[in-house]
Amino acid sequence: MPSGGLLLQSIILGLLLGGLYALLAAGLTLYFGIMRVVMIAHSAFLILAAYLAWWSNERLGVDPLLSLLVTVPLFFGAGVLLQRMLLSRLRAATLTMMSVLLTFAIALIIEGLLGYAFSGTQRRIQLGYGSASFGLFGARIAVVKLIAFGLAVLALGSLYLLMKRTSFGWALRATIQHQDAARLVGIDTERIAGFGFGLGLATAAVGGTALSLDTTIYPSLHWHWIGPLMAIIVVGGLGSVPGAAAAAMLLGLGQSLLQIPMGTTWAQTVFYVALFATLAFRPQGFFGGRLAQRF
Amino acid sequence: MPNVSRRWFPLGAVAVLAAAILAFPSLAPNPYILSSGVVVLNYAVLATSWNFVGGFTGYISLGHGALAGLGGYATGLLVTKADLPSFVALIVAALLVAVLAVPLGLAALRVRGASFVIVSIALVLILLLVFQSWASLTGGSRGLVVPRPFPGLLRPEHHRVFFYLYAALLAIAVLTWWLLDRSRFGLGLKAIREDEDKAEALGTPTYAYKLIVFVLSAAFTALSGGLYALWFGDLDPVFQFSVLTGSYLVLMALLGGVRTLFGPLVGALIVGTALEYFKTEFGSTPLHLVATGVLLAVVVLVMPDGVLPAIAAGWRRLRPGEQSSIREMTAADLAEQRHRSRQDDRSGPQGDQPAAGETREEVRG
Amino acid sequence: MPSIFRRTHWAPALGVTFLLTLGACSGGGGGGESADDPITVGISLPLTGDFSEPGKGVQQGYEAWAKIVNDRGGLLGRKVELKILDDQSSADRVVADYEQLIGSDQVDLVVGPFSTRLVVPAGRVASEYGMLFVEPAGAANEVFTQGFKNLFYAAPAVAQDHYNHLATYILALPADQRPKTVAYAAMDDPFAQGTAYGLKAKLEAGGIKTVVDEVYPPNTTDFGSIAAKIAASKADMVVGGSQYQDGVNLIVALQQLRYQPKMAAFSTAPTEPEFAKAIGNKTEGILSPTGYSQDAPYPSNKEFVEKYTAQFGKAPEEDQANAYTTGQVVEAAVTAAGCAEQGECQQKLIDWVHANKVETVVGPLTWDATGKPQGAHMIQQWIGGEIKIVLPDATKEAALLYPKPAW
Repeated sequence: MPSGGLLLQSIILGLLLGGLYALLAAGLTLYFGIMRVVMIAHSAFLILAAYLAWWSNERLGVDPLLSLLVTVPLFFGAGVLLQRMLLSRLRAATLTMMSVLLTFAIALIIEGLLGYAFSGTQRRIQLGYGSASFGLFGARIAVVKLIAFGLAVLALGSLYLLMKRTSFGWALRATIQHQDAARLVGIDTERIAGFGFGLGLATAAVGGTALSLDTTIYPSLHWHWIGPLMAIIVVGGLGSVPGAAAAAMLLGLGQSLLQIPMGTTWAQTVFYVALFATLAFRPQGFFGGRLAQRF
Repeated sequence: MPNVSRRWFPLGAVAVLAAAILAFPSLAPNPYILSSGVVVLNYAVLATSWNFVGGFTGYISLGHGALAGLGGYATGLLVTKADLPSFVALIVAALLVAVLAVPLGLAALRVRGASFVIVSIALVLILLLVFQSWASLTGGSRGLVVPRPFPGLLRPEHHRVFFYLYAALLAIAVLTWWLLDRSRFGLGLKAIREDEDKAEALGTPTYAYKLIVFVLSAAFTALSGGLYALWFGDLDPVFQFSVLTGSYLVLMALLGGVRTLFGPLVGALIVGTALEYFKTEFGSTPLHLVATGVLLAVVVLVMPDGVLPAIAAGWRRLRPGEQSSIREMTAADLAEQRHRSRQDDRSGPQGDQPAAGETREEVRG
Repeated sequence: MPSIFRRTHWAPALGVTFLLTLGACSGGGGGGESADDPITVGISLPLTGDFSEPGKGVQQGYEAWAKIVNDRGGLLGRKVELKILDDQSSADRVVADYEQLIGSDQVDLVVGPFSTRLVVPAGRVASEYGMLFVEPAGAANEVFTQGFKNLFYAAPAVAQDHYNHLATYILALPADQRPKTVAYAAMDDPFAQGTAYGLKAKLEAGGIKTVVDEVYPPNTTDFGSIAAKIAASKADMVVGGSQYQDGVNLIVALQQLRYQPKMAAFSTAPTEPEFAKAIGNKTEGILSPTGYSQDAPYPSNKEFVEKYTAQFGKAPEEDQANAYTTGQVVEAAVTAAGCAEQGECQQKLIDWVHANKVETVVGPLTWDATGKPQGAHMIQQWIGGEIKIVLPDATKEAALLYPKPAW
């Protein structure tokens, strides 16, 4: 029987993990909302950002958090280019299918280049505060994990404000909801779509930096992220950012708690069980995105 | 004259291809080249099996690596745990995977397009987890050692035997594809590929058709995976259940052209050999991943109907008098044209109003 | 209906052209033997991937061996040349590598790769080509149950026996001082898990309770929850069946939870040169088994440490020593048999190693019929920022600290 302390510890770990999942799922949801594109390379960009954070710490000696100043604009630009140069060139009729293959190809390229540049060796940032922690009702919270969670919350919050409070956000939401109508009221949906992709990829930059603080990274790690993230956006109801965030917190917590009786590996199956259950019983997702429809 | 040559040239070419494959083991200068030949033939069988789903229905699966892995592990486990003779185990394993493919297909084929791809990727990842975790049965990350079917055989001989076994399996797979293509059943499948909703409206039982062809594809994939297990001898979950395998198959099929009988085979010969070459030349770097990725991206962006068909079409156009057939244009192209003419330069997807078929799917789901 | 052929008639033709080109391009290989030819030794190592850290150590060990032998005038008067391929820590690659080395590159000798997981597939290739296969890393039991007659593990003991001295020490403690509960976490890897479970079997037999028993796959990166379980169990002792990075991650995760056991033992990771820096120098009291010591009094060891240090600018570690030992065993066999090439010579080499004792940098080695070495490992402990031998008493540099100071 798990003790109360272990339970509390697992809940905390689960929530901290869920925050990171939520941020990353938000990016995936954006891509899907804008173009019905399932972006397989999202987690590859995540690992790329983590490597850039590690590299700037290892080689340049700066705190990994500072790498955000470079990676966020860089990834934003890359996202815009990706949408404008590559994805918008695919034929509309086969867009969903071919975009999966195209982003899959991009993921392979990133993985290969990371392996070429940094070798397959597992890397980990060595921080002075790496093993520091503080207590909370008998549980311990590692400082690095809390920073990662804080980053995720901050990024999600800014994304929310951007979507709700700015005219760009208004245009973006309009594009997501009804592209034709958006164009009729004078929104340049092409431009907006590109910026939306940039925003999505920027979440990967923040997520990757947060990830690099407390885990080991290696080039093929992105496969371990893409499965859970796909599950989260499907469960969350494709296209709904709050839905994805709720699903992320729930599944992150579920994974962490299930690790107590089932062990680390079996606990990961919770994502796939949720994915298949959602597709079988409620394909529009459990947190009702407005765009929840087959794609 | 063109009629006669058209009828006999392809048959002759097939005969020469068969002869070349059969002669390869005697031409191979050393056992290493022979073993690479086995790997390439394995890819050829896998790509052809993949094309049962991909080519006929247009559903792109990245999860076929998982089916091959299942076939391999099933064969290995039947040999080690149930003490079945190796080749009996192979057949039983393929049947088991075919049976398992029914519920898998039921789940995966309910969803279309990108969802299908996601489900197929999820299949690989979940099987990897299961086979890594269920160590008491599968040996976990330590892997599973499959006993040799011919224990006394020296290694070069072992490669030679398996090369011929793979060649036989390839012949069966290609023949099945050909028969299917000529049948009414095949016609129905192609209707699904061109326009699933219309096919359904015209009375094709699309779901059953898709399922049957998925199961058939799974069985051939499992046979190939099982044969690999018997040949290679060491199974490791990380390699048996790799998304990469699936992506190689997609690349091979797309490169060779999914609408043709020999397209995936030729794609496999080219990509498989290129992969082996890359691994020997640049084995110490992961650049083969980059090469695969770039190739896949180029194919998807530039020639989604296949590089070789595109080249062939270009060649045909250069020769006067040979009209390229109108059938080369797919429903997707036509839809695209309609789309274009309807609303100028829209670059987004088909729009938010779900098509008739999508709503129907929803209700049935 | 020939339409399908019409559309595809180019395909078979292209396939044929392709196959023929392939056949034509792949010439080469072979070649006669002569006394002036170098002896080529084929090796496949994980220079990238999960095991690239220890893989590089093994590579340096082999390189040191080749240099020392060549400086001495070579083997049988012939120069030794290494041909090293990268297996990316993957079983598929390791088989293809040895296939290529033996079949295509026609190397004269092969020696083993790194990591037990890769030794079995590699050993089978060598066995089916009838080659002698001495290896520096196949320490788990299943390596020796495959029926190989050509394989020899060039180290003092197999994984299960690594902690033998520690088990004896613990069980000899007075009952009220002994650790009463132990938490085990092991990578699902034959070597890493073998070390932890070898100790587990002995401690359980001695009546010490197991409170946590976790196995994680090699690609695990998040150790938070495993550490939470261990910390919540408040076990007196923690044992990690680790390779390198997983051991580091687990220790950091345990330290984040302020878990302070009385005894902590991890395999492999603590003996790696990068270890102390990787965990922020909080190493105090961590135990680890090792098969090699730079100060060991064996005759060839002094030469090895000296020349290795001159070549690489630092003293050799266990991985380097194991590779070097492998070289020494092959060297002894080749010298005694008077030959080094593929074919009948290999059986002579195999028979010789089965029948003889070899003096190496890790001491004299002998093997049983399955190729299993007959010896035990030393136990090291991090004391005051340095790793020191604490067991067995005969070779110890310091006394074992128990209970261990806080980390």
